[in-house]
Formats: sequence, structure tokens, C-alpha cells
Amino acid sequence: MASETPVSVEHLCREFKTRAGLAKVEAVRDVSFRVEPGEILGFLGHNGAGKTTTMKCVLGLLAPTSGRIRVWGLPPGSPGARARLGYVPENPDYDPSFSSLELLRAFGSMRRLQGSDRDWYTLLDRVGLRGWENTRLSGYSKGMRQRVSLALALQSSPGLLVMDEPTGGLDPVARKEFRDIMLEENRRGASILLSSHLLGEVESICHRVVILNRGLMVRSGTMDELLGGERTHRITYTADGRTREMTVPTGELQAGIDMLRGRGCSVIGVERTWKSLEEVFLSATEEHR
Amino acid sequence: MKGTLVFGMMTLRMLFRRRTPWGILIMVLLALLGLALVPGFSVENQGRFVLDFGLSGIEIGALVMALGLAANLFPRDREQRTVMPLVAVPLARWQYLAGRFMGAALVQAAALLAGCLGLAAILLARGLPVPGDLFPATLLIVVEGWFLLATVFFLSFFVSPPLNWPLTIILFVLSQMSVRDFVNLVPSRPGLMRGIRLLLPHADVFHIKDPLAHGFQVPPEFFLLAVFYGLCYTAFMLSLALAVFQSRDLK
Repeated sequence: MASETPVSVEHLCREFKTRAGLAKVEAVRDVSFRVEPGEILGFLGHNGAGKTTTMKCVLGLLAPTSGRIRVWGLPPGSPGARARLGYVPENPDYDPSFSSLELLRAFGSMRRLQGSDRDWYTLLDRVGLRGWENTRLSGYSKGMRQRVSLALALQSSPGLLVMDEPTGGLDPVARKEFRDIMLEENRRGASILLSSHLLGEVESICHRVVILNRGLMVRSGTMDELLGGERTHRITYTADGRTREMTVPTGELQAGIDMLRGRGCSVIGVERTWKSLEEVFLSATEEHR
Repeated sequence: MKGTLVFGMMTLRMLFRRRTPWGILIMVLLALLGLALVPGFSVENQGRFVLDFGLSGIEIGALVMALGLAANLFPRDREQRTVMPLVAVPLARWQYLAGRFMGAALVQAAALLAGCLGLAAILLARGLPVPGDLFPATLLIVVEGWFLLATVFFLSFFVSPPLNWPLTIILFVLSQMSVRDFVNLVPSRPGLMRGIRLLLPHADVFHIKDPLAHGFQVPPEFFLLAVFYGLCYTAFMLSLALAVFQSRDLK
């Protein structure tokens, strides 16, 4: 039965056999989380932590060994679930003999979308491929192919975007453009499940984060819960020959510094009072080594 | 169904852009080679030899094309990760298989029919009559090619392309053998060998080049039954392929 929760994962376990088939490796162990409507959930972990395995289970590409997954209340991989989902894999390499416009036309037909070439031109323009619509992918750079993948995922205006390291290997400008599109999609109402090694990116756009380590979920929560509540800065300054400290909300940092200088104080240091996501990530994964 | 057709057309276009010209070139070269090899025979023998050699060339072409077209399709999709967005988003796995098969089968059929036309052109160029059954004979080879294609697809879901080639060729050779020849491979176990042979496909039903070369008429019922047999076996191999693909993880 369909529900309004984009993704619900309960006690997911996934084992793989080793190459010889004699032993089993637990890639994911008892992982549970939800992606709520309109939420961007960051999925963090070392290489081999189980992120991609979990994502593939959500997409229905891998069957869980045990546990329960629902996408919009439906089994993963079912037509109803897939109709509301867009997927951006890590470094996809579509057939180089197709142009991006041809791929959009074909995927549009397979999805039974009513879009015309004008819609696909607009979409390609949005992902930064204006002027490249009819060029075969063999002439595209890696970043441009990633943009094609994003266009294909956005084509049906999905309610859920599953993105596996979508900005890995992109230059900073392209990363910023991808981030902007993710935020635009989120404002439109799309939920996003985002796996990334770029902690700054996750910190800047995700509402909640799940951290995996060796297949186990070691930390999860909203950004505020993980980073330590209210975001403030501590200003160290000297006044009347004595060193003092003052804490101000991060948004009012510049105003606080200006106010102190206006009173003749000299600011000697500024530090933030919350932890960075990198610190949280490193401590969470260190604890469970 | 629309998704399958669209994906089939995508596969067709991809294969045409990549490999088909080479496949057709090989067919034409084989046919020309046949033409070049028979200058010394009498007029009657020439016709027989060109037909026999030409249809054999088309049949070998069917095998090579099946392997060349399909052995790499799924492994490449998996390695390049293009199967994931396809299967994860708009296409069911059966649609993926059906679309890929459809595209490859159309390319193969087009190439084999081009070979048939080439053979007819060679016969005409040498002033020889073109038998009326040449087209149905080629059609049977097309059906045999589809069966081989389905076999290659089936194997491609669990063996690598370098292993797919010898396995398919072994099956091709075994499926050409009569029951007696097959039993003679291990004469000490005739019952077992007969049983195994009955399970293996009988590709000899697709060959009417001998009666054709010798000018005998082949009854239409034989064509229909042979086509039906080939299509059933193709559907069976595709069902096996789908069963393997459905249960397969896409890592």
C-alpha cells in the first residue's frame, strides 16, 4: 500500500559470499532509517561501509538478506515505487553512441512521459548542457556525462532522488551547480537520499545524516543534534587590559565584532563553538573501529 | 510493452552504430570468398557448390553474429553501470532482456537476409538460377540464429564473454549432430548419450541446404514446424535467461 514516507528501512542486513563462496561477509548489519517527505538525508561512511549496498537495496537492485524496505510504502523495485524515483549512480557511462537528447527521448518514452523535445532542451539547459544536445556522449567529458545522468534522473520530476556520490570527481563550479539543483528539487518537494564523501557538501545541504561504519549505523540525527545544537561563535577580545570572551550566534558574528571594535576593544580570536561534520564523522567511525 | 519496444529500438540503434557494418562486411566477404573458390566446376556443380557454401557461410555468420552481438551486452552494461539506472528506474528486468534481445535479433536478421541477397546476387552474376526456397532456407537460419542469440544471452548472465564463446560453439556443434553420431562419442553408454541428445536442441532441422542444392522440394509443413520448433526453443532459452537475471544481484 502506498504511503507518504519516501523511504523506510528497518533492520536491513545484507550478506555477500566471498569470491570462493566459502565465507560470508556482512556488508550491512541491522541498519534502520527513514527519509521523510521533503528531507535531504546524507549518507556517510568510509569506502566499503555499506552505503552503496544500502542504496542498491532501496532501489531494488539487491535483495536484502533480512529486514524490510519500503519506498513510498511499496516494495523496492516495484513499478509504483520506481515511477516516483530518480537515480543518479556514481560515474555512469551511458552508451557513447547516443546524444543526450536521444537518451532523454528514449527514457521519456520508457517512462511514458508526455514531454516534447522543447522540455528536454529546457532540462538539458538546466543541467548545463546547452549546445551539446545533439553531440554524442563519446565527445563528452566525465562531468558532462554526470550532468546527463542528473538530467535523466530529473526527467520525471521524481518525489525521491537517490544520488550515489553524484558530485565525485566534478570540479568546484560543477559541484556548486549540482548542489543548487539538489536544493531547487528539494524546494519543489523532492526528498533526497544523498551518499557523499564531501562532508562540507553534506553539512551545507542535508537536514539529517546517517553515518555507517563497517556495515553498522554508528550515528544518525539532524545536523543540529550531531553538530551540537545552536551554532554560535566565541569571540576573544581585550578590554581595559583584560582578556574576555563573548559568545554570539553565528549569524550575528560580524555585528558582534563591529560592536566590540566600536567600544575600543581589540578582537584577538574567533572560534566556533560547534563541531564540524568532519569531526563528528571521524569520532563516530573511530569509536567503532 | 512500449518500454520494451523503445529499449529494443535503442539497442538496435546502438548495435547498428557499433558493430553491424562489420557483421555485414564479414557476410559479404564470406559470400565473395565462396564465389572466388568455385571457378573450376561445371555449371551444374557450380550452382550446387555456391548454394551449399553460401548457406553454410550464412549459418556460421549467424553463430558469429549471435556471439559478437550478445556476449558482451550485459557484461558491458554491468561494468559501465548503465544497467542500474535502466533497471532501477524505467524498465523491469524482463523488459531489459526482451529489449536487448529484440534489438540484437533484428540486427542479426537484417545481416543474414543481406547475406541471402548477396548469395542470390552471386548466383545471378554467374548466370545460375536462384532457387525459390533460398529465402525460406535463410529464414530457417535466422530462426536458428535467434536460438543461438538466446543461448548467448542466457550464458552471458553468469559466464564471462571469453567463456561464453566456447560454450556456445560447443552447443552449436553438438546441436548439429545426429543421434547416431552423438551416441558414437561414448559408445559404451548409448542410453545415456541418447537421453542427453534428446535434451539438446536439434539444429539440424534448420538445415535444408542439401535438398535445396540438389533441387529437391521441401514441403511447407516442414518450414512451419521447424520455425515453430526454433521459436519455442528460443522462448525456452530466454525464460531460463530471465530466471537467472531475475535472481541476480546487480552489484
